[in-house]
Amino acid sequence: MAETQVVRQNVLRDEGRLPPVPEPGAMVIFGASGDLTARKLIPALYDLAEGRRLPMEFAVVGISRTEMSHDEFRNRLRDGLEEQRAGSVSEDVWESFSKGLFYLPGDSKKPETYEELKDFLKKLDGERGTSGNRIFYLSSSPSLFPTIVERLGEAGMSREDDGGYSRLVIEKPFGRDLESARHLNGDILRYFREKQIYRIDHYLGKETVQNILALRFSNGIFEPVWNQHYVDHVQITVAEDIGVGTRGAFYEEAGALRDIVQNHVMQVLCLTAMEPPVAFDADSLREEKVKVLKAVRPISEDEVGEAAVRGQYDGGWVFGEEVRGYREEKDVAADSETETYVALKLLVDNWRWAGVPFYVRAGKRMPKKATEISIQFHKTPHTPFSGPDTEGLEPNVLVIRVQPEEGVSLKIGAKVPGSGFEVRSVNMDLLYGSAFMEEAPDAYQRLLLDLMLGDPTLFIRADEAEGAWSILQPVMEGWSKDGHAARYPAGTWGPDEAGELLGHDGREWRRP
Amino acid sequence: MSVEQIEREFGRLRMNEDGTLGLRASVLNLVAVTDEASAGEITRVVSRLAGRFPCRAIVMISDPDEETANLDIRVSAFCDARGGSGSQVCAEQVEVHTEGPPAHHLQSLAGPLLLPDLPVFLWYPGAFSADSAEFSGMADLADRVIVNSGAAPDHGACLREISGLAQDPAMPAVGDLQWVGLSPWRSLIADLFDPPDRRGELGQIHRVEILHDPRGESRALLLTGWLAASLGWRPESARETDRGREFAFAGPSGEVIVALDPGSEDASLRRVRLYGEELTFQVSRHRELSEAMSTVMRGEDLLGERTVHLGFFDQDIILGEELRFRGRDESYAAALRTVVEMIDL
Ligand SMILES: NC(=O)c1ccc[n+]([C@@H]2O[C@H](COP(=O)([O-])OP(=O)(O)OC[C@H]3O[C@@H](n4cnc5c(N)ncnc54)[C@H](OP(=O)(O)O)[C@@H]3O)[C@@H](O)[C@H]2O)c1
Repeated sequence: MAETQVVRQNVLRDEGRLPPVPEPGAMVIFGASGDLTARKLIPALYDLAEGRRLPMEFAVVGISRTEMSHDEFRNRLRDGLEEQRAGSVSEDVWESFSKGLFYLPGDSKKPETYEELKDFLKKLDGERGTSGNRIFYLSSSPSLFPTIVERLGEAGMSREDDGGYSRLVIEKPFGRDLESARHLNGDILRYFREKQIYRIDHYLGKETVQNILALRFSNGIFEPVWNQHYVDHVQITVAEDIGVGTRGAFYEEAGALRDIVQNHVMQVLCLTAMEPPVAFDADSLREEKVKVLKAVRPISEDEVGEAAVRGQYDGGWVFGEEVRGYREEKDVAADSETETYVALKLLVDNWRWAGVPFYVRAGKRMPKKATEISIQFHKTPHTPFSGPDTEGLEPNVLVIRVQPEEGVSLKIGAKVPGSGFEVRSVNMDLLYGSAFMEEAPDAYQRLLLDLMLGDPTLFIRADEAEGAWSILQPVMEGWSKDGHAARYPAGTWGPDEAGELLGHDGREWRRP
Repeated sequence: MSVEQIEREFGRLRMNEDGTLGLRASVLNLVAVTDEASAGEITRVVSRLAGRFPCRAIVMISDPDEETANLDIRVSAFCDARGGSGSQVCAEQVEVHTEGPPAHHLQSLAGPLLLPDLPVFLWYPGAFSADSAEFSGMADLADRVIVNSGAAPDHGACLREISGLAQDPAMPAVGDLQWVGLSPWRSLIADLFDPPDRRGELGQIHRVEILHDPRGESRALLLTGWLAASLGWRPESARETDRGREFAFAGPSGEVIVALDPGSEDASLRRVRLYGEELTFQVSRHRELSEAMSTVMRGEDLLGERTVHLGFFDQDIILGEELRFRGRDESYAAALRTVVEMIDL
């Protein structure tokens, strides 16, 4: 037979101006009756479907223990979607999207659930053309992660041998300390290869966080001064004005260090301090981030008192509203010592940053929501304008604001108009966010699309997760021995001790 | 008004109450060439665009046929105060009305008003004449020319003219709003052939039917040109039918017929149907015109179906899409070349 077998390409897709659309596939969500599924995952998938970014041959299979039919599951998600996208849901698009939503009631601890799932997925391959590609999204409680992975592995569902892909998505928190993170990685790697694993930190899906990289590596003027020769110190702030709300039980277990610092703050630190990656691809980028984590000097247990501060909010006033203290929140112990605020002094021991402290802080019930990085430059070595003329003139500060209003501002010295030579600091605001005021896509939308397209650049690699835990491990151990969190009134920038952390070094926190 | 006076006026427009100058973020220059009748609409498009593409917009409203010279310049700014620390985004607009001799030298007016260091997009919302001195003078200023092949009365002739421009290495890159309007359709059609087991059908397509309305003729032609250029169909013959026009192509596995039917009443493109060996593919605008439904059938069996948002077709959105793009669009050029071959048959 002279017939040659050719791999056929879809030539119609062969051009740059048409957006890439993922291959057909099915996404299995474990924890499908939960909050994340209804509030984030399904709305993001709906947006992708509406915006023509999902293939026609796509299906979601939800799994959790609650008994529901496919239709009940769909209705429930429809209600959730309505809450998130009030008034902008199209009946027809929903109708067509929801035909691809399915539900299997089952306990994810039981092997039978996986046999059933396997059959169901096989059936979908035939009926909906999902082509053997599978994504397993773990959105259930973290204590179930190892079991689910093991069951998937035992059922042979982590294998990619018949052509289709099998990807595993892990939600945060990725472990609760270094040891459990290592265990979890070990458990997963028994069945999945690193290439198949997508650990989510939704901060990386934010357009504004990605913009830190654009600012640093697409502008020639910042990089030459981005080092210890010019930078005095760096401050990273991740502040929320909200309290723990209804997630008290969860927060009691986690605390600010695990909930925010281990992931979001460490990611922002990496993006700020890293060397330019050779390319914007998964390995190049993550390699550079890991190098930063490795260079962070471990805080020894007896230094914890000086280099780490934790706090917990009392009642107070936030923007005109009286709010209760953490201990009065729902599902929180009356004598809880869980921290809602963390400040750390970190040193990055490498050529670029030797001797430059990175002060990082994260907290709830701060005066306002703000995520920012501020690069504080050295004072000028000498100023010809002396005495009262330069009063109020401060060193240059470059602030990269990530939230809520994205932008860059630079504090520079300028002459006050008039005779004499009075010089003052002036804040120059460059709001690049508003230069492109397009509605930025939701972080989950971006990450789910990357995941389906098989691009792990904006996901966390195993060594990154472990690296971040290693830095925090001594702090957690130190704190577990001495159980006291300093108190701060809601609506302030944290406990006095946090001020002292910088005060010792003759510096102070910037007011965001 | 001199150039200095215009710049000073822009400064005054973004002056804060305390006398300091408000910030300006700009990403591009947009020069629109239009006539009195469309000037109002163009100004509205520019102001709607300002939020996403803060720019210096220069709207040239010219009437070269008047005897006496006349020049009238108006300056305005659209500011989008977003609160916070005095943040303002401004789109600055200069409206230049010219009559008589100055209208033959538009580039001498537009050139000095451009913001330095930013790309220049030249936009002809209506009909244009590519071989006029005025056009080539303006094109010299531009990094990209944006036209609308659907604006001229004869779409075919206009596409031929654009094809000439696109092939002229001395001209800046050309974009066409009709082509932008086609991208959701192209994307949806491409989606149909993504599953590996359907790719084979691409080589087996033997008939395509496109239902459009007379305003959508240029889109229908471009869609045909794109399919033919991508799939290697060579135009062979054309004929009028009782419903519209039919083109015959020589494809890799035999003859392909593309039938254009201008019978749609409510949408410039209404429905595209592709017949393969075993399967029939269709993308059609939904009864809600903002949505589109794709289907795959085997005989009477429905194999797949979905409804998506087709996108918005307001001028500012389509123009915005085109402003994001830089460089030459090879797919467009290839589609155009095929269209010219088709209409020359
Ligand atoms: N919610 C957020 O905003 C958010 C943000 C970031 C990260 N995350 C992470 O995302 C994950 C999910 O969070 P969530 O807020 O959606 O949690 P959740 O609302 O508590 O949902 C957990 C889900 O797991 C199911 N489940 C529990 N035990 C099960 C079992 N043995 N077998 C099958 N299903 C079981 C529960 O449903 P049944 O009771 O019906 O079985 C429920 O649907 C967590 O890892 C969380 O840390 C959440």
